[in-house]
Amino acid sequence: MAKILEGPAMKLFNKWGIPVPNYVVIMDPNRLEQLGEANKWLRESKLVVKAHEAIGGRFKLGLVKLGLNLEEAVAASREMIGREIGTAVIRQVIVAEMLEHDEEYYLCINGNRDGAEVLLSNRGGVDIEENWDTVRRLFIPIDENPSVERLTEFAGEAGFTGEIAERVGKIVSRLVLCFDNEDAQSIEINPLVIRKSDMRFAALDAVMNVDYDARFRHADWDFKPVSEIGRPFTEAELQIMEIDARIKGSVKFVEVPGGEVALLTAGGGASVFYSDAVVARGGTIANYAEYSGDPSDWAVEALTETVCALPNIKHIIVGGAIANFTDVKATFNGIINGFRESKSKGYLENVKIWVRRGGPNENQGLAAIRKLQDEGFDIHVYDRSMPMTDIVDLALNS
Amino acid sequence: MSILASRDTRVVIIGGVAGLNAARRMAQFDFLVNRPLSVQAFVYPPEEGQQKEIYRGGELKNVPVYSSLEEALAENPGINTALIYIGANRAYTAAKEAIEAGSIKLVSMITEGVPEKDAKRLRKLANAKGKLFNGPSSIGIMSAGECRLGVIGGEFKNLKLCNLYRPGSFGVITKSGGLSNEAMWLCAQNGNGVTTAVAIGGDAYPGTDFVTYLEMFEKDPDTKAVVIVGEVGGTLEDEAAEWLAAEKRRIRLIATIGGTCQEVLPQGMKFGHAGAKEGKKGVGSARAKMNALRDAGALVPDTFGGLSKCIKQVYEELLADGSIKPEPEIDEALLPELPLKVQEIMKQGEVIVEPLIRTTISDDRGEEPRYVGYAASELCEKGYGIEDVLSLLWSKKLPSREESEIIKRIIMISADHGPAVSGAFGAIIGACAGIDLPQAVSAGMTMIGPRFGGAVTNAGKYFKYGVKEYPNDIAGFLSWMKQNVGPVPGIGHRVKSVKNPDKRVKYLVDYVKNHTSLHTPCLDYALEVEKITTSKKDNLILNVDGTIGCILVDLDFPEQSLNGFFVLARTIGMIGHWIDQTTQGSKLIRLYDYLINYAVKEEREVPEKK
Repeated sequence: MAKILEGPAMKLFNKWGIPVPNYVVIMDPNRLEQLGEANKWLRESKLVVKAHEAIGGRFKLGLVKLGLNLEEAVAASREMIGREIGTAVIRQVIVAEMLEHDEEYYLCINGNRDGAEVLLSNRGGVDIEENWDTVRRLFIPIDENPSVERLTEFAGEAGFTGEIAERVGKIVSRLVLCFDNEDAQSIEINPLVIRKSDMRFAALDAVMNVDYDARFRHADWDFKPVSEIGRPFTEAELQIMEIDARIKGSVKFVEVPGGEVALLTAGGGASVFYSDAVVARGGTIANYAEYSGDPSDWAVEALTETVCALPNIKHIIVGGAIANFTDVKATFNGIINGFRESKSKGYLENVKIWVRRGGPNENQGLAAIRKLQDEGFDIHVYDRSMPMTDIVDLALNS
Repeated sequence: MSILASRDTRVVIIGGVAGLNAARRMAQFDFLVNRPLSVQAFVYPPEEGQQKEIYRGGELKNVPVYSSLEEALAENPGINTALIYIGANRAYTAAKEAIEAGSIKLVSMITEGVPEKDAKRLRKLANAKGKLFNGPSSIGIMSAGECRLGVIGGEFKNLKLCNLYRPGSFGVITKSGGLSNEAMWLCAQNGNGVTTAVAIGGDAYPGTDFVTYLEMFEKDPDTKAVVIVGEVGGTLEDEAAEWLAAEKRRIRLIATIGGTCQEVLPQGMKFGHAGAKEGKKGVGSARAKMNALRDAGALVPDTFGGLSKCIKQVYEELLADGSIKPEPEIDEALLPELPLKVQEIMKQGEVIVEPLIRTTISDDRGEEPRYVGYAASELCEKGYGIEDVLSLLWSKKLPSREESEIIKRIIMISADHGPAVSGAFGAIIGACAGIDLPQAVSAGMTMIGPRFGGAVTNAGKYFKYGVKEYPNDIAGFLSWMKQNVGPVPGIGHRVKSVKNPDKRVKYLVDYVKNHTSLHTPCLDYALEVEKITTSKKDNLILNVDGTIGCILVDLDFPEQSLNGFFVLARTIGMIGHWIDQTTQGSKLIRLYDYLINYAVKEEREVPEKK
């Protein structure tokens, strides 16, 4: 799953013939002035300036400015670029033509298990939620893309008539092509607008998710997926992602500010159950972490140090199910080194560590980590006979 | 009974090293339940034609690697299952071919990071062909007592701890691989173990789902209850709930769902498996799924921690109503143990293996080599040199400073003797023919023998013999030599003579006798011999081989080592000649006709063959 920003999405729309307004993405407001000299539309149209970052609720934060002329757009860009929002800094803005239009439509395609579903309404725009009953749906089985005729008919079902129905049918057909060929997971266009005087259509806003696992077959994907956790990634998260991209198996890390229980858990399934257990017992998690697929010990060590450096934590849960092939001795070796290193840097003061794990070489791994008791760590080690998430209960009752 | 995999399952693994590791784990299970090897073939074009060694217990089996599935199936018609262990960019093609192959009924894919579109297509294809496509990202399928597909179940010890050597009464279906193993453990601890456990993988659109396998378990009389471990995202758990509610079901359902933590996390924050994503407006939330399953009649604990209790409760109810008949447990002591490797048994002191070779000089088992006990780095640090290492490895002694100096000078003096001598010339011819350093130098090295540089050992040996047996009787020694050996090794030179002495010999003799305190009985003896022989013929001088041989005997080097000094020293020169020739880019050389005396027959006609 990978959300992509408007700029790259517009580029893909262009590639597949889905009409978009003129737009530019800039990092330097002075560049916009120069682009203005080169492009008539920047001088003559009303413009919209939006922060080109993965930040939710941009409108409320004043990161979307509408109806500007070029001069005002330059000023708005100057104001936005470099602004700090929480832990994020605005680095780019997208400046687009604010096409004056007569009607706003809603067009969306979502992947599902058997293919995809197209959603279409002739009552799009900000009120789409209220007009949700006007949305018509069309299921498209995988590898059975419908004809333009069928899609024009579908536009008719959604209340479009005449030439507009034909044009909408064609746009839907191109959207389906784009979705299919670009390994998209969902594309939402709201609004799709029309200026009837010259029958010009444009997708004014686009939210697109692509399947980043398919990047091996897309030479022109020059974007990186943006954060899907409602805020940009932190430095520590980016570092772990960078390690994750290089190793066999995987390591994952997401910070949850304010939590007291840190997770250093194994496996994509078990890690979620550990998070659940903390929440169910009234605790607060400081992060989500996961290592799986028998990763190298150095990667686990880096993850451990990252977890230990979380502020104000009281417990670390080194939990995991009984592994199938992740070597407990080797991965624990990484964890042990990470703990030692962190302690020498002054972390882990008053932090209790709780361990439960099974799997290949479990006896050696558990014995090795238990020895940390002799080095002054407040560590409690359990084997497979301890129910998986019960160490969370022990931690929170201690 | 079981579902999906049984004693009749025969497997082809498509993929390289990860597939081989899985096959080895599977063979351990085959050994535990005493069935023939389940993996019959690999498909992996880069290793076509190889055979992979797989131990089934103590028995070594060779499993062939084919370049195509078609070939593998043609030669192994019993194969009915394919496991995909190949990279995400090739997984689709491999799985498609397997699904389309007539004899294969089940295709399970462990590959992670497979594009969703590929998984959707494979599912559609499998459905159309009436096949099963399990995965992607599936750790595998385990039918207790019957068959293991993939590494599910972990190490051998765990197979026993989870009672997987015999079937129980619980089915297991999970998205997560690690939790499939945990669930099998819980079923063994709180119930009587599993019939079959399936991991469907945590991707957004797995090829099969809970309902696929619930249907199968419902039809399997040995399965009395099913444990499913689901999670937030998608609709598979809700479909399981609908299935359960649709009609009266024979099997009991226990379900636990991960992801309730998302209720309190900042909005939009999601983690876990690719498929673990809550949709808009709470669609696919863990809580909604738990409620749906509970409403449908499943036993759903609030947390994973409550799963043990649920399994125990269902097990006791099933025992009470007679659905499960208690069976005597197999005595675990009767189960086979994986045979240990020789090293492991030796460590336990239970077996003696006679060593194949014996060494008395060098030990590589520590962090660095030790020469006769001394660490190499420590020798360096304490100022020892190559002569000392040579002495340690050749005669197991650390020489004195004075002795080292002599050894060093012997090597320096013998390192090279120009391009014309046999050894250097051989190496040069090799270099000019364009062959590589080790081969060219060994071409020169093969020249070392009785006529060239190889007389050191024999010279030392016989002069030592003379000192011992004919101490004051040179004439007696020479006559013994004449009778028993022939010319005295170390005496005589092709060009040098009394009037034209060998400077090297003069230098060495002078150095050893006048600048060191070495006691030199053997060298002195040889010089006495020289006096007699040169009186007979001018060129019967003590040559450099003889001189070195005697000095080395006086230094107490073992006889066998003596030629080594010339070999070692001259190697330095021959390497130099090879480098010299190749740096110059020398051309191939051959002898001119005029350097050859063609003492051959006149041209003549070949007779008819008789």
